[in-house]
Amino acid sequence: MAEVTPVGIAGLGVLSALGRGPEPQLAAALSGAAAFGPIDRFDVSGRRVGIAATLGQVGTLTAELAEAIEAACADAGLTAGERAGSPLLLAVHGHPGASDCAAELADRAGLAGAGRVYTGACVSASTAVADAAAMIGRGLDRVVVAAGYLVEPDQFALFDSGQALSGDGAVRPFSSGRQGLLLGDGIAAVVLESTAAAAARGHRPATELIGWGRAGDAYHPCQPAPDGRGLARAIDAALQRADLSPHAIGYINANATGTPLSDTAEAAALHRSLGDAAARVPISSTKAVHGHALEASGLLELVLTVLSLQAGKLPVNAGYLGPDDSCELDVILASPRPVGTPYALSLNSAFGGANTALLVRAT
Amino acid sequence: MRTVPQPVILSEYRWPTGPDDPLPALPGYVVSSFSPLVAAAADGCLTAHYAEPSASAASRQRTAVLVVSRGNDVVSAAHVRDKVARGRRVGPLFFFQSAPNSVVGQVTSHWGLGGPVVCISPVGDPLTDGMAEAALLLEDGDADEVLLILVEQDDPEATGSTDRAHALLLSRGPTP
Repeated sequence: MAEVTPVGIAGLGVLSALGRGPEPQLAAALSGAAAFGPIDRFDVSGRRVGIAATLGQVGTLTAELAEAIEAACADAGLTAGERAGSPLLLAVHGHPGASDCAAELADRAGLAGAGRVYTGACVSASTAVADAAAMIGRGLDRVVVAAGYLVEPDQFALFDSGQALSGDGAVRPFSSGRQGLLLGDGIAAVVLESTAAAAARGHRPATELIGWGRAGDAYHPCQPAPDGRGLARAIDAALQRADLSPHAIGYINANATGTPLSDTAEAAALHRSLGDAAARVPISSTKAVHGHALEASGLLELVLTVLSLQAGKLPVNAGYLGPDDSCELDVILASPRPVGTPYALSLNSAFGGANTALLVRAT
Repeated sequence: MRTVPQPVILSEYRWPTGPDDPLPALPGYVVSSFSPLVAAAADGCLTAHYAEPSASAASRQRTAVLVVSRGNDVVSAAHVRDKVARGRRVGPLFFFQSAPNSVVGQVTSHWGLGGPVVCISPVGDPLTDGMAEAALLLEDGDADEVLLILVEQDDPEATGSTDRAHALLLSRGPTP
């Protein structure tokens, strides 16, 4: 495994149904205030489920991505010259115009151009973050990663037809009685920067990405491996890159979608990778408040993980009804917990047995 | 950015192999050629190198699969868009083939490939972009091999089928 260059998370921009900007995300995640409600953005009269987490006043996907990228670059304090040397990695649902969208977004923000466009479903954004870190390790000073999904009729119809959506209006990660996921808006952008480059311009990011891992289940087109083998190896890789013991982890922002098979497989992965630490690390899935943002989920959840570490408080796992014997984990219930260690994992999984783990540290 | 070693090609396969090459059907995938194209190219390329599938070959636990496609499954997407626009229900099989990862899971479970699963839309030449992403995955250390699959479906403006897929099995190249 290649030597790891410390990567700072220098700036961020974010939007979800919880609101615009970092503050409403953190406030809702800490209190467990879910944003699900009836969809009025498009007709759902023929669907089994008509619930999602959508923001009332929202622009086009491209417009919202542009705003988030601008916010992240401004938050990082990037000059025009620093922007001009920074490529954009974009994670969106695949379509023939995706690369043109990336080029337009890079141009509008004054970035170096579209570096890559990731279209691999629910690990798109987290894969982009891992790749950005790898690129910085090979000499780039900084990379901008952006990701977006706004709830729209086609994907909603697909998830509805696949009976993947929760029928009781809530997402209940790791809980008994969980019925499935609900979709949610998610737009996020981050500036990732080598800590050396940040120091050279007088910045010291409050959070660093210190490990990452990507691995596959080799199990099934759309079901997770019940033993969590792929996700466990992704976590192993992240810990190995950071040279960190599982016992040092203080929080896990879980992939947990509220789907029976998926949450059980994730719990198995955590026990497989972390051993006896798995049952003691505080864990929650913020999908229970902002919903599943598909291609953007990895970046939205990384942002929430970063905001939580910076606030010193860990989000609750909303929607929880009671324990599930197949998910023996330290789920954060009722109220936010204080941060116990500076290290946190953000996990994501997708169709095809794709898995990623991102490991961050508050500095 | 520092130069990443160019991957070495272990095997390679293109579909179609000739003018009348039928695309093998892929059970569970309907209407669209996208997933059968990915599977056909992957199977041809992996057979050339590994000969036989194996769900338990330890050496393949760090083989990544990287799909490069400008629009992913544009035929399925158009089918779904039409159904939704007309207020019809979408068949559940379209949910399972709605992401390119799905057929990758079919390939990885059959061949026992446990490395990263990555799908990208090229911003430039697809082969160049795919080789660059494969090189990054190999050098960064999550994979020892990468199955790179380039796939594009029919161009509606073209005469005759332009469905095509090209798979390359890659390993880490020598340091320049």
